[in-house]
Amino acid sequence: MDDARLTERHLSTDETKIAAKGVQVYYGDNHAIKDVNVDILDKTVTAFIGPSGCGKSTFLRCLNRMNDTIDIARVEGDIRIDGEDIYDKRVDPVQLRAKVGMVFQKPNPFPKSIYDNVAYGPKIHGLSRNKAELDEIVEKSLRKAALWNEAKDRLQEPGTGLSGGQQQRLCIARAIATSPEVLLMDEPCSALDPIATAQVEELIDELRAQYSVVIVTHSMQQAARVSQRTAFFHLGNLVEYGETGHIFTNPEDPRTESYISGRIG
Amino acid sequence: MPVLWIALTVLALAAVGFLVGRGRALSTAGGDARKLHSLPNYYGWNVALFVLVPSLLTLAAWILIAPTMIEGRVVSLISEEVAADADARNLMMADVRRVAAGLDLAVAQGVMSAEEASDLRAGENDIRGRLAEVGVALGDNVTTAVLAAAQRYRVLSSASSLWMTIAVLGLAGLGFFYAWRRTRPDYRARNVVERSILLLLILCASIAILTTLGIILSMLFETQNFFSQYPWQDFFFSTTWSPNFRGNSDLGILPLLWGTLYISFIALLVSVPIGLFAAIYMSEYAGPRMRSVAKPMIEVLAGIPTIVYGLFALITVGPLLRDYFAQPMGFGQSSSSVMTAGIVMGIMLIPFVSSLSDDIINAVPQTMRDGSLGLGATHSETIRQVVLPAALPGIVGAVLLAASRAIGETMIVVLGAGAAARLDLNPFEAMTTVTVKIVSQLTGDTDFAAPETLVAFALGLTLFVMTLGLNVLALWIVRRYREQYE
Repeated sequence: MDDARLTERHLSTDETKIAAKGVQVYYGDNHAIKDVNVDILDKTVTAFIGPSGCGKSTFLRCLNRMNDTIDIARVEGDIRIDGEDIYDKRVDPVQLRAKVGMVFQKPNPFPKSIYDNVAYGPKIHGLSRNKAELDEIVEKSLRKAALWNEAKDRLQEPGTGLSGGQQQRLCIARAIATSPEVLLMDEPCSALDPIATAQVEELIDELRAQYSVVIVTHSMQQAARVSQRTAFFHLGNLVEYGETGHIFTNPEDPRTESYISGRIG
Repeated sequence: MPVLWIALTVLALAAVGFLVGRGRALSTAGGDARKLHSLPNYYGWNVALFVLVPSLLTLAAWILIAPTMIEGRVVSLISEEVAADADARNLMMADVRRVAAGLDLAVAQGVMSAEEASDLRAGENDIRGRLAEVGVALGDNVTTAVLAAAQRYRVLSSASSLWMTIAVLGLAGLGFFYAWRRTRPDYRARNVVERSILLLLILCASIAILTTLGIILSMLFETQNFFSQYPWQDFFFSTTWSPNFRGNSDLGILPLLWGTLYISFIALLVSVPIGLFAAIYMSEYAGPRMRSVAKPMIEVLAGIPTIVYGLFALITVGPLLRDYFAQPMGFGQSSSSVMTAGIVMGIMLIPFVSSLSDDIINAVPQTMRDGSLGLGATHSETIRQVVLPAALPGIVGAVLLAASRAIGETMIVVLGAGAAARLDLNPFEAMTTVTVKIVSQLTGDTDFAAPETLVAFALGLTLFVMTLGLNVLALWIVRRYREQYE
């Protein structure tokens, strides 16, 4: 790892986008997340790392209330986006998810054309007044996802016909199309080959200019490459959270050090 | 030796062969199973298979072929004019077989001695009376020709039986010896056994396919007979159906086809929305407890015999529709109607649609739903825009399968829609379907050479082609548009 490069990383903002306090998650009797406090900054890539089953994906899914779709899951604590409590009764989880986009581990394009995949969110939320506007949103989203050049001549072909890396970028374009403020990514590269991974990572770095990106990853190199801040989860606890360069070069907690040096995991 | 005993002997030999083969394999390897190419049991199975397969195949072939060969020889004894006419010959051969069987029975029961049985003379002995004693009733007195033929038949059958015993047991023994000789540690018994299992599987698959082929061929043959007596233009394009067993019938398929399609259409109109919505509720909204109760309950509908549905149509739905809809609105007086049969048939089809659709909706991967929910779609938007389109090919397949069930349904139509062939748009009028007419043309006192009877086969074949077409279409749609989920 290029330590010199890591420590040079600087944050473009110090503004807090998401503030989580005392978050507990239970799956039935299983206490999956134990009292997590974390402040996620705006226009920053935050990486969640940790061994399998440590709760990092679960915590990610709390941020757009995707855990609501699982019957046995129960979330306690306080999570605020821009100071607004997202677990407040007045908040419609459906509206929230339009604001907090999500990209999943496995590329999951809908069985529709590439165009319709990207237009899905805008159509549902009524974001365009006419076809021309919708076309524009689709093009803009595909451009931001670095897929426009490959897809512009085959917009009406099924999204499932793309390669794995292209599918994942299509899913990112789909998430961007609803103009979210936060983008959650649950191991977005774990099903991709190294070249596709590099493309997606490059894309994530570009997305940082507009969004607050939270990425769950198993690959510590990936976390080091793309993120400015890193949170290390272990057995449902948030062990350490701080600047990526700092976490990787100078971890404070012995568990973090063991994990990044490969002794546990 | 009777066939049963032969078969049991061969089985016993196979069982012995299994033990001997296994034992020999172990003893040639010096009792160490690790030196064998295959597990000891495979050597046993190998010997047993070599005993069973050739001998039982021969037995089956012999049982199938021998009677025809014997009859061919016996027929030459019968006068030529009888032998020339197929019907008369069949009657005569039936007599011959009866007499022969009667004589055998008489000898077996000790009423006649073996010599006495073979020396009977038609004129002198009262064969009919003697055979009646052992419980074999003959229509009239036995003629010389029949008796001669019967005697000949007895001789040939007993010879055939003897040779069959020798051949089958001989083959079993040979197989035993051959396989036993080959049992050595380096013999690949496992491969041989597995290959023969493969052959068994292929055999079963081809039996299923060949049976279908046989059904089609038999239908084709009779249909050809029908069209040689009745012009096909009239059959396919005439709009009247009035069979008349004195001749001069109008056998147009159109009224029947109309009735079939009309009733099936109403049945699908009932079953597709209900079945599909039930499936969506079951797979998307119902909790596991609700699902575990409701799904089997819906599937119970599929287990009800169609005649029971027919009764339901006859005594409940039919009068209900007549009293509350047809009569007040002036649509007719008939309690049996297209509507009655269609609605009841639709109820019958609900589980077909719902059960298949439920499975298909469940097969849509959860990641697809997550993707849609994650974009801020509601549950119902997700179902309408993502889950159903993904499941659509399968749902179409389910609907087409239900349609071919509806087209082939008989009992509900007989009791619900009546038996009047009619071309009419009024759904409260009695109509009938192709299947009902097939039944009515073939039941009762029928002459199998008349077009009025043979038309049933033409109707059947038309129906078969229609449902086959629907099934092929269903399969094609499912394959063509199936989403490949990883």
